[in-house]
Amino acid sequence: MEASEIKEKLKEVLVSVLNHDRFELYDELTAKDVDGWDSLSHMMIITKIEEGLNIKFKLRDLNKLKNLGSLVAVIQAKI
Amino acid sequence: MVFNSLDFVGFIIPVFLIYWLVFSKSSVYQNIFLLLVSIVFYVWADWRFLILLGASILVNFYLGLKIYKVPEERKKSIFLYIGLIFNVGLLLYFKYFNFFYEGFYDLLSVFGVESNHSALSILLPLGISFFTFQTLGYLIDVYNEEIEPNTDLLEFSVFVSFFPKILSGPIERASSFLPQIQEKKKLSYEGIVDGLRQILWGLFAKVVVAENCAHFSNTIFENYQDKSGSVLLVGTFFYAIQLYADFSGYSNMAIGISKLFGIQLMRNFSTPFFSVNISDFWRKWHISLTTWMMDYVFTPLSFTLRKHQKRGLIFAIIATFVLVGFWHGANWTFVVYGFLHGIYFVPLVYSGKMNSSEIVAKGKLFPSVKEIVKMLMLFVLIMLTDVFFRADSVTMAFDYLGIIFSSSLLTSPTILFSNVAIITMGLIAVFMGVEWYNREKKHDFDISNFPGYIRWVAYISIFLLILFFGKSASTFIYFQF
Repeated sequence: MEASEIKEKLKEVLVSVLNHDRFELYDELTAKDVDGWDSLSHMMIITKIEEGLNIKFKLRDLNKLKNLGSLVAVIQAKI
Repeated sequence: MVFNSLDFVGFIIPVFLIYWLVFSKSSVYQNIFLLLVSIVFYVWADWRFLILLGASILVNFYLGLKIYKVPEERKKSIFLYIGLIFNVGLLLYFKYFNFFYEGFYDLLSVFGVESNHSALSILLPLGISFFTFQTLGYLIDVYNEEIEPNTDLLEFSVFVSFFPKILSGPIERASSFLPQIQEKKKLSYEGIVDGLRQILWGLFAKVVVAENCAHFSNTIFENYQDKSGSVLLVGTFFYAIQLYADFSGYSNMAIGISKLFGIQLMRNFSTPFFSVNISDFWRKWHISLTTWMMDYVFTPLSFTLRKHQKRGLIFAIIATFVLVGFWHGANWTFVVYGFLHGIYFVPLVYSGKMNSSEIVAKGKLFPSVKEIVKMLMLFVLIMLTDVFFRADSVTMAFDYLGIIFSSSLLTSPTILFSNVAIITMGLIAVFMGVEWYNREKKHDFDISNFPGYIRWVAYISIFLLILFFGKSASTFIYFQF
């Protein structure tokens, strides 16, 4: 899947978990930059991505997520 | 040899001079000297556990290499588990054995089995809670491919045993400490002055603020039964300030001393009482322990429980904080302390304010009324919870709190009207005022951007306060952990 497609999917997930779309999806985006992206919504976002794309994250992947770019890269490696 | 003793002054001055004058040729020379000095320092405190420290260094060094080198995933996890069992085992044996041993016999007696037994006398090796957490974190990081293992036993030994942090932290991470050890440390005038500043502030916090508060909190806690609710409330206030000044003072001294050797340790406190909610508070209190627990306990746990959403998160938070409490010692009081702090997070989980952390009244001199109310309410909650931290038993803590919440709360706290109490309150005001002013700075006494004459007035004032109001203290609260 293309990075742009993944980003589209991510946008859907974020909007459904956070209930707003006040964010731009660029590679350097971090959770801190987005309203409401806290420890709880983070885990909800991870779960939604797993369900939506039918993949499974490992704890080790989670540690590698530094920003949106790395999230897309980790997802790409799994599809 | 505590940092605020003359012994230590006699130790650190020659060590500092020899380090920079004789051993500054290369990082290897510097590390050899740092290791030797760290061993001397540790042996000075307690020689009996040097072998244990040495064994911990060797085992963890070897396991780090093994985890990295073996190709199969399964074997990697076997070596990780050996490491977890070894490190946690050391802690369980030395720190918690009697707790579980007594608990086991208590449980038996519930079922009517009576037995003769007595607690074993196990000495607590100094700094064990701190250095085992460092090595645990190191092994997990290597396993998670966050870092590569260290291949130099000398560097690794300095990482574990570096004397400013061996007894009471900060709990360092390999990823920030080891790269500093690998490079040649450079003598920097700015760094040394800043280190001295931080030592001075730490010393003030410890010998002036903490020790003067201890005078009251000790008297009140030790004879709480014949005191009124209002006096006990005053006791909790002094204890909360004492605990903070004691440990943040220690941490500032440790970080400052480390700076004298060209090594930056992590910040351990960031003006925690200027927080508006409990999550904010824990982001600023004993940061090296909290972040450790977040990375190695909370994140894996909440990840495992992610399908359970809010309930999973709440469980993960409470379990993490129970462990934070229990880390302090083998006593139910610490378990209750941690459990309560975990519970305080529940409203934040439901209101979605878990991760909102900001410096209070950023860029302003004074907070808003709303911020003051929030800070005060949080402070009172923390201060009352600290009763569990200080009490000898859970029963005593409940007794103590019971007296606070009785009609005698409405009597006048006469203890506050003595000259000593008024002076102590004044010293606390100076302490908190300076920390408030510096809350956006790199450390509590970072006054580097002030003109020279103001800095000197500040140094001399703090020095005089230490001279006039300082009390000698033989130990720090956190040494027992």
